Amino acid sequence: MKRRDFLKTSLLVSSSIYFPSLINSKNVLANSVVVKVHGDSPYKITKRAIKELGGMQKIISKQDIVMIKPNIGWNRTIEQAANTNPLVLKAIIEEVFNAGAKKIIIMDNTCHKPEETYKRSGIEEMAKKMGVELRYTDNNRLIAYDFKGEKLKRWPVFKDFLEVDKFINVPILKHHGSAELTIGMKNLIGIVGGRRGKLHRDLGMNIADLAYGFKTHLTIVDSFRILKRNGPVGGRISDVELKKTVIASTNIMEADVIAADLFGEKPEEIPFIKFAYEKKMGNMDISKINLKSFAA
Amino acid sequence: MSSKNTTLIQTLRIGSQILFLFLFYFLLIRTGKSNVEPSGYIDLFFYFDPLIFLLNIIATQAIQALFLLSIIPVFLTLIFGRFFCAWVCPFGAINHFFSWIFKKSKKKKETINKNLLNVKYIILILIVIMAIMGTHIGSWLDPFSILFRSSTIAINPAVNYSIEHSLKDGANDKSIVVKGLKPIYEFTKKNILKTEQRVYFQSILIGMIFFLIIFLNFFKRRFFCNYICPLGALYGLIAKFSFFNLKVNENKCKSCNLCSNNCTYNGSPFKDYMKSECLVCFNCLKDCPEESIEIKFNFPKKKNRTSIDLGRRRVVGSILSGIFISALPRISDIAKSKRHKFLRPPGSVSEKQFIQKCIRCGKCMQICPTNLIQPSFLEAGTEGIWTPVLDPNMGYCEYECNRCTQICPTNAIEKLSIEEKKEFKIGTAVIDRNKCYTYVDGYNCGVCEEHCPVPDKAIRFREVEVWNFEGKLKKVKQIYVVTDLCIGCGICQNVCPRSDHPAIYITAEEEQREFNY
Repeated sequence: MKRRDFLKTSLLVSSSIYFPSLINSKNVLANSVVVKVHGDSPYKITKRAIKELGGMQKIISKQDIVMIKPNIGWNRTIEQAANTNPLVLKAIIEEVFNAGAKKIIIMDNTCHKPEETYKRSGIEEMAKKMGVELRYTDNNRLIAYDFKGEKLKRWPVFKDFLEVDKFINVPILKHHGSAELTIGMKNLIGIVGGRRGKLHRDLGMNIADLAYGFKTHLTIVDSFRILKRNGPVGGRISDVELKKTVIASTNIMEADVIAADLFGEKPEEIPFIKFAYEKKMGNMDISKINLKSFAA
Repeated sequence: MSSKNTTLIQTLRIGSQILFLFLFYFLLIRTGKSNVEPSGYIDLFFYFDPLIFLLNIIATQAIQALFLLSIIPVFLTLIFGRFFCAWVCPFGAINHFFSWIFKKSKKKKETINKNLLNVKYIILILIVIMAIMGTHIGSWLDPFSILFRSSTIAINPAVNYSIEHSLKDGANDKSIVVKGLKPIYEFTKKNILKTEQRVYFQSILIGMIFFLIIFLNFFKRRFFCNYICPLGALYGLIAKFSFFNLKVNENKCKSCNLCSNNCTYNGSPFKDYMKSECLVCFNCLKDCPEESIEIKFNFPKKKNRTSIDLGRRRVVGSILSGIFISALPRISDIAKSKRHKFLRPPGSVSEKQFIQKCIRCGKCMQICPTNLIQPSFLEAGTEGIWTPVLDPNMGYCEYECNRCTQICPTNAIEKLSIEEKKEFKIGTAVIDRNKCYTYVDGYNCGVCEEHCPVPDKAIRFREVEVWNFEGKLKKVKQIYVVTDLCIGCGICQNVCPRSDHPAIYITAEEEQREFNY
């Protein structure tokens, strides 16, 4: 083989290895609907949102094992609005069980110690009542997962998230210092392990890659209480604002766009939404999104 | 006394030892459980220790009410002699057990060594004299401290590791044999193990010392208790005035000397009965074929007292050397140095008080949910070995937690409410501008800002232009520390993504407690 031939073939081979990553389109969905429900009870508006989305049975099949991934990152109370509201989760769990799911697991790779955060967030108590398995992360269960992104390639992910049939993402809408906002896509940082701090370089791109490479079946954004300043930890009640809203969609990016708008930010100014739009994960223009608003 | 009664009393003694050992570990594990409300009342074991009471009085010149509990064993010692060591002491129980194991593996008969027996009294004198001079070493040798410290730092984490790495994989396995282990694993995980493996810098040293103490039982029965233990020495001194006595009925005795066979200090009531050394274990009663040994309670008259023969020269010598040795740490660099590099847990008293009050038990390390509190080696001076210091590379001080401030038996870490702890300044975060990405590499990071628990944020962003590592001027959200707001919790250092050295770290700068050494 001549040197030129060798170079040609090696180029071909390597490009064929990398080429699939360009057509990977796990989270690109056409004709998705975003539902936005406003009301006084976090439980009721979540139920309504799922109903308006067409019911949970549209997403969950019988005998599915379902992972619900809330934000339980911080050792803060419900009123401090750093973690997903347990009442929102309760409504989702009920709907998932009604749709015939075999098992529900709740899990998050927390920032504070999980024993503390699961308890203080009120999620542990709720999960025990509902008969849902609450799992701690275990570093022995990390495996390298190829997100095939521009920036984010192989990164350790907890097996637990890959072994389930359906994945429901339940973030809380919050201010976030380095990512501007934390919503659905940012919440996916909680499925990865390793040195997550390293992801903060080009954080927006990493989050977009993460959301692009990992299939989310349903995103429900808890915006009942939102943390306007000093996120994502917060702590001060005066930084919390009552929005009494829940946003649900099968398209993670469009849910984030609507949530960002609700927060009062321009979606195109949020880096991870901008990058996700460039990956054609959805519409960034609110007028183009199929948005249905309700009051319950 | 009939042989039936002696068997009963032996069973009772062993039962009592097992009970107290179990209780000690039950309370130790309970202290570390995150679902147990932290308070000084979880584990009262240390309050029954008259040696620590004595050292605490010397250090604080005040009496801490709970320590009055230690009068109970002292009072009982006045009646029953040094019963504490063979009936109550959990560390004594461990040494007793291993002496019994090692005895089976060797035939040679042990002999009494009175000089060696006196060593513990000299150690006690040294400890007390040095405490009066302001140097605290008693807790290195106090049996409760040793056991609690060794268990927290070495034994429990090692057990934790072994179970996680043997049973756990078994529990996940599909085969029937190992599946049987699953309930065992789940039980230990729920009740005994920590959620997260504990790691301590001093594990090896403290673990080795523990095993050395146990191994010493191979040479002499209950080596530590007879020759080193200062608490045993204190009880020995008290037992000198006790009512309890063993008497040999000379009509029955045939001078076979079998009673010395299993004596904990290798003496015998027949030949060398030493009231201060007798642990009231009643082995001799069991071993006597003629049942000639009798228990007598009589008023301790002066001529009845078996004296501890230290010799005036040794007493004076140990007092003088105590005075000299205690001066050594006072003239080491830490006394004059204008800076110190270590951090103490929130609520710690001033350094001088801390080093005298702290009993190096490791309770704060056991209860810390994040593994932040570590036993020091030489960071806090030779005197401060195994006192708690903070290593934010291992953990961080949880904002909503005040556990370590609640359980310190001697209040070296003073009680703080959650609100008080949130304000307590452990130290201050300092940015290493040669390492922080937002300063030197010119790209956004901000993990520390994200984690900063202070509601106002002690770490904030400012928009600046930085020459990045490609040589271009770039707009960056650069971090800076608001020193007045920072409480030094260390989560910023803990989460800093740099692998070599944290770009933001906690120093003792502006710490709230006083540092007058």
